[in-house]
Formats: sequence, C-alpha cells, structure tokens
Amino acid sequence: MRVSVNWPTTDYSRVPYSIYHDPEIYALEQERIFKGKAWNILCLEAEIPNPGDFQICHVGDTPVVVNRDEDGKVYAFVNRCAHRGAEIVREPRGNGTDHTCIYHAWCYSRKGELTGVPFRRGANGKGGMPASFEPKQHNLQTLKVESFKGCLFGSFDHDIEPLEEYLGPLMVDHVGGLLDKPIKILGYQRQRIKANWKLYPENIKDAYHGSLLHEFNRTFGLSRLTQVAGGYMDEKHRHSILFQFSGSDSDEVALRAYREAGVQRGELMKLNDYDMVRIIPENDKGMSTRVINLFPNGFFHQIANTLAMRKLRTLGVDEFELTWTLFGYEDDTPEMTEHRLNQANMVGPAGLISMEDGEALELVHRTTKTAQNEYAVIEMGGVGPIGDRDTRVNEVTVRGFWAYYSQLMGIAPEGAEQ
Amino acid sequence: MERTAAMTFPIETRLLVEDLITRSAMLIDSDALEEWVASFEETGRYIVLPRENRDLGYAIALIKCEKRAILEDRLTVLRAASKFNPHVDRHILSRPCYMGIEGDIVSVQTNFTIVQSSLDGVSKLFCAGVYEDRIRVSGDGATFVERVAVIDTFSVPNLIATPI
Repeated sequence: MRVSVNWPTTDYSRVPYSIYHDPEIYALEQERIFKGKAWNILCLEAEIPNPGDFQICHVGDTPVVVNRDEDGKVYAFVNRCAHRGAEIVREPRGNGTDHTCIYHAWCYSRKGELTGVPFRRGANGKGGMPASFEPKQHNLQTLKVESFKGCLFGSFDHDIEPLEEYLGPLMVDHVGGLLDKPIKILGYQRQRIKANWKLYPENIKDAYHGSLLHEFNRTFGLSRLTQVAGGYMDEKHRHSILFQFSGSDSDEVALRAYREAGVQRGELMKLNDYDMVRIIPENDKGMSTRVINLFPNGFFHQIANTLAMRKLRTLGVDEFELTWTLFGYEDDTPEMTEHRLNQANMVGPAGLISMEDGEALELVHRTTKTAQNEYAVIEMGGVGPIGDRDTRVNEVTVRGFWAYYSQLMGIAPEGAEQ
Repeated sequence: MERTAAMTFPIETRLLVEDLITRSAMLIDSDALEEWVASFEETGRYIVLPRENRDLGYAIALIKCEKRAILEDRLTVLRAASKFNPHVDRHILSRPCYMGIEGDIVSVQTNFTIVQSSLDGVSKLFCAGVYEDRIRVSGDGATFVERVAVIDTFSVPNLIATPI
C-alpha cells in the first residue's frame, strides 16, 4: 500500500487533519502498528487466573482469544475459524478445555491448534476432506505473549524485542511500581467514542488540557498548570507519563493564575464531602497523579487513589472503544477498597475529571472531517527537538507520539525529529 | 431477586411508588435535577452499575453516591464544571414490577430506556437498563432509600453526564 502524508513541518508541530479520517491510513495502521512491531496490552493476568480461563481481547480491530493452559502459560490466537472465518469464541470470558466453532464444529486447543474436523474422513465411505488436507497447516494465527508483572501483552510480530526492552526503564519503573504487589480487580468501565483512535493517546499525552477542560481538576487541585509536574517519555518517545504533585501550589496562586489567563470566571466550587478528592499517600514518588500511555493501545493511571489499566480497541476510522479495568491490591483494607470505589466517581465515562475527554475528542473528529487539508497546531512547550518538560504547559509529548507513529508507519517526512 | 406476596400490596402504596418513579423520570428529563435529588432520603444511595460488573460480582460503578450529600456534590460539579454533549433526555419506563415489602420499604424494579436527542433534533437510543429501587412509603409520601440503575448499555455511548 502506498500512503503518504503531507507533514508541513518536520517536528510534528503541525498535524494534518486527514490523518484522523483517511481509511487507507487506518488500514495501514492495522498492519504496521497493531499487527506490526508493537506490544499491545491484552488484559491483566488477574482476569484469567486459572487454567482454562479465557477472555476476548482486541488488537486494533482484530479479535483475539487470550487463555491460560494447564501448565499456567498464557496463549493468544486470532478468534477466527480457519475453515470459513466464523468467530469461534462468542462469550466475552469464561473457562474451557478447548474452543469449538459453532458453524461446523471445528475444534481448537488453547494454543490455537486445530484439533478436530468433524467427518474429516467422510461418512459411510463418502465425502470428507481430501487426503492432502493437513490440520497442522490450519492452526489459528497466534500472538507472542509476555507478561510484565501481571499485565499481559501480545504481539503479532514474533521477532519483536523483549517486552521489558520495549517498555524501557521509565515505564518499567512507573508501571512496575503500580503492579508491584498482587492486584485485585474491582471492575470495568467502558465507553465508545466516535473519534479516531489516535486522538486518545494524543489526549493522554496532552498535559495542557488537564485543568482547562477538566475544571474539577483545577478546582480541587488534582491537576493544575501551576503545580510541580512534568511530561516524560521513553528514549523513542513512544510511551509517555504525565505526572504532578498536588499541593505544590496554593489555591490563591492557582486562582490568580487562571483568572489572569481568563479561564476562571467565578469562585471555586465547594463540595459537601471532600473524601472524593482525599489522597491517601501510597506511592513512594509522592506523585498525586500519573497518567501513562504505552504505545499503541495501553494506558495506566493513578489518579489520587484510583488505579486503572485502560485499553483501546479500534472500531473503524471513526470510533474506538475504551475499557477501564479498575484495580486495587490484595492487601487493601476494606476502607481502602471503599475509598477506591468512591474515587472511581472521578474516572470512566461518567467520571468527574474524564467525561469531558470523550466530548472533546468527538468535537475534534466531527469538525476536522470537513477540513482535511488543514492542520492542528502543537507548539505548547516549544517546537523543534522532542524531549521531556518539567511543566504541564506542554504538548511536546504529543509530538513524541507522532514522531514514533510516523516511523513505524513509514510516513515520516525527510529529516524529521525523532 | 425473589418476589414475595406482591399481590397483597395495598393500592395506595402502589400509587405512591409509581408516582415517585414516574415523576423522577420526568424531573430528570426536564433538567429539574435539584428537585429529583430531593426525592432521596438523607442516607439514600444512587448507583449506576454496569451489568457486566453486577454479573461478575465487581463493585465498580459508573456513578456511586452513597448518600444524598454526595449526589448533591455530583450535581454541583455537573452545573459548575462538567462539559458534555448538550442534549435532551427522554426516559421511557415499563410498568414497575413489585418484588417485596419489608416494613415501610418497597422493593420494585422498572425497566427503562433513555433516548437522547441532540440540540439539532437527532434522537438515539442512549441507554437500556433496569432500576432496582427501594422506596420508603409513609404518610408523607414516597422517597428513595436506594436506586441502583443497572445498565445493559455498559459500553457507554461517549459519556454519562446527566443522571440515568
């Protein structure tokens, strides 16, 4: 496929709107990113703890079965029958010794090997498969699977670098910190956003919007542009972490700054119950919020005491589904669990600091559709070389996404920043 | 939920319960949310729970207000800070199914669908689910002790801002 993108600048400070809408780009992304040299988050090991446990996941738009075999190892294969292409596993999760397609009852092992073709030798001496039919040649397409501290990743590229190398030291440190002890799944939040999938990693890497779009953040000091904060990346600029320290500014300083910037029109709102925004210190770095993107489809957050792995599934060029898997730790007290459950009011599709993201992304997607020769402007935090910044008044991490994305897609302009 | 002695519910009780359920839908649809919140008791709970979490025994909700003061806070944030798709809601309710009565508290379930319409007049099915209500009926009328909205549409179309 020949796809070219007209980047007006080599530092990705301009992003052509066509990149969110072009079906050829979407098709190429499925091949080069989701099925290419990338580790995609599948699910958490805690979701499939026992032999036979399975879960349906998606890598890009490809349905994948992730399951645990008798020996405790996890295998993943494409959920598409090798016979006629029917979906094999139809329940979102469950437990099974093998997987049988309902159409003609072809049967597969947990490793995705074809183990049964009914009436392969015919019936009453008639029909059946030709003698040349070799079941071994009709196994399901498998993914390479690796676990990082209980988070399962899959790759269609079996020659890809080891997972920890892919994550890099920064992500190993932060994601590793969040998964440093046995976790307990608390439940799911899901949403479908009618916007191109790339707008989501961009949003997660966009430090600038956090307190402007999300007034709750600004009001209660969970995230402000006036705080000690930063946006850091791995050396290839594909993964990112935005973090801040609440309490590193005062309400007075923040109020004045936001008033002078013209965004705070009235007084700060007040609550009956401040338990929702109470932070019980639990990470040794002292960060009140950490929002992480693991290229291409994975995310982790620690927002006060809510913890989640988020994963993204593409649903065509115009839509994606986001699944938030909220978790705590096995050793949480009942009070801590209750606190995490209450703070989940801040996140997910009805979250007091996250519902706005879905709306903002749909607005961008809707109105850029008819402006495909025009460009987004990404200059906060500076132009030119891509690197870390110790502030949230910063979009350089967004340019980092485009730099790595473009290399993987083979669409980087001549002499581009990396 | 096991159903007990439903047919023995006094008709007066049923009328008060049904009026609360119907009126609460009308209040949400007409954006009279402060009035809607007032139909909860001080310790009244309001939870929006994805059906998959209910089925899996997970406690994570989309909205979890353990008392009226917290529901009021959600409303404060909605009015002052939240940004969301401007829209009109229309709740369509089933007849309520009476599940049980314990003292002055009636357990009742009502199916709902919510059709959401944009400001340019396009309507879409937004949410299907069931209200699992515990309603106190007294001489003063009916109030919510607890409302759990279990939603089947748990892959939420974009976002939930206004209450279900």
